[in-house]
Amino acid sequence: MPKANTELFALTYGSLVTELIKDYDNDIDEINKQLDRIGYSIGVRCIDELLSKCEVNGVDIGPCNSFQNTAEVVAKIGFRCFLGMTCDVTNVTENSFSLFLYENPLSIFVELPESGGGGLNDDDGGLNDDFGAAAGGSGGIKRLEWSKLKYSNIYCGVIRGALEQVNMKVSCNFARDVLRGDDVNEIKVELKEMLAEGAGEEYQDE
Amino acid sequence: MSAQQAPLLFLVVGRNEPLYCAEFGKTPGTPATAQTISRQQYIIMHSALDLVDKCAWVDGNMYLRNVDQYNHQQVSTFVTACHVKFMLLHTGKNDETLRVFFNEIYELYTKLSMNPFYKFDTPITSKQFDARVKAAARRYLS
Repeated sequence: MPKANTELFALTYGSLVTELIKDYDNDIDEINKQLDRIGYSIGVRCIDELLSKCEVNGVDIGPCNSFQNTAEVVAKIGFRCFLGMTCDVTNVTENSFSLFLYENPLSIFVELPESGGGGLNDDDGGLNDDFGAAAGGSGGIKRLEWSKLKYSNIYCGVIRGALEQVNMKVSCNFARDVLRGDDVNEIKVELKEMLAEGAGEEYQDE
Repeated sequence: MSAQQAPLLFLVVGRNEPLYCAEFGKTPGTPATAQTISRQQYIIMHSALDLVDKCAWVDGNMYLRNVDQYNHQQVSTFVTACHVKFMLLHTGKNDETLRVFFNEIYELYTKLSMNPFYKFDTPITSKQFDARVKAAARRYLS
C-alpha cells in the first residue's frame, strides 16, 4: 500500500480546509458539514479496501457479533491501516462508543485563530500605521467563532460512510478536540439503526 | 542576575511592515522615560532596514551579523529565504549566541508558517509563537 509523507498529508488537508473556508465565505457550520460529506465519500470507499487488504494479509476480522467488536475493528485495524495510528475505544454501550485519539496526524501544525477576529479573506491584511503585532480586524469584518470549527471532522464522515456500507447507520461527532483546548480528541459514535440487507425496491421480485 | 540593562527590541519584518515585535528584559515600573527610549529604538530599526537589504544581497548567509550601529546599540539581523527579516537591537551581545538565538526563532517561524490558518506576510498573532519567542529570549539573551 503506498505511503504518504505525514507532513505533506497534513499540509494538504490544511489547504483543503482553508480553501473550504474561503469558498463558503467563513460559514463555520457549513464547513463542518462539508468536511463530514467529504469524509463520507472517502469512508464509503475505505471499507472495501480495508476488508480486501485484511483478506489478502490474512488478518481475520470476520463478521462482528457486537457493536463493541465493530468499535475495536474501526479503532485498531481501520485507523492503523490508513493513518498509521491507533486509538482507544471507551464508553462502550450497546449503541455507542467513544474513540480517543491521542495523536492526530491531520493537525500537527495547526493552531486555530483567535475567536472574534476577522475571517480568512483574499484581500490584503490591512494597512498598519503603528508598529507592533496587529490584532484581528477592525470594524466591519465578520466576527468568527473559530472554536466551533471541527477541524478533523473528516474522520466523523469517514466512520459514518464506512459503517453505512456495512448496514449500520451511525452518527458521529467530535465531543472533545485538542485544537479547542481539551486534552484529548474524542469522537462519539452512536448507532442509529441497522439497515436492512439487500438491494433497493426496484430490484425486488415482483 | 545581570545588572540593569536596556530592554532589547526584537522585530520580525515582512515585505512591507513589521509582523511581530517583542521587547525583552523590560523591567516593570520604568514608566515615561522607557517609552521615549522605545520610540527611538523603533526609529533606529527602521533606518537600519536599507542596510539590511544591502547586506542581504551582498552576503550569501542567512545570518548577517551587525548591520548597523548607533551609539552603543547594534542591530543584528537574520534574513530568511523569503526575505522576512528578524532584527534585534542590542548592546553588544556575542555573535555566536545571537546566531543560535536566531536559528531557534527561525525554527519557530517555520513551524508557524506551516499553520494553514497563517497567511504569509501577515502580522503574527499566535500566542504560542509569542510565548516560545520570549522563552528563547530568556534562554539566550539574559
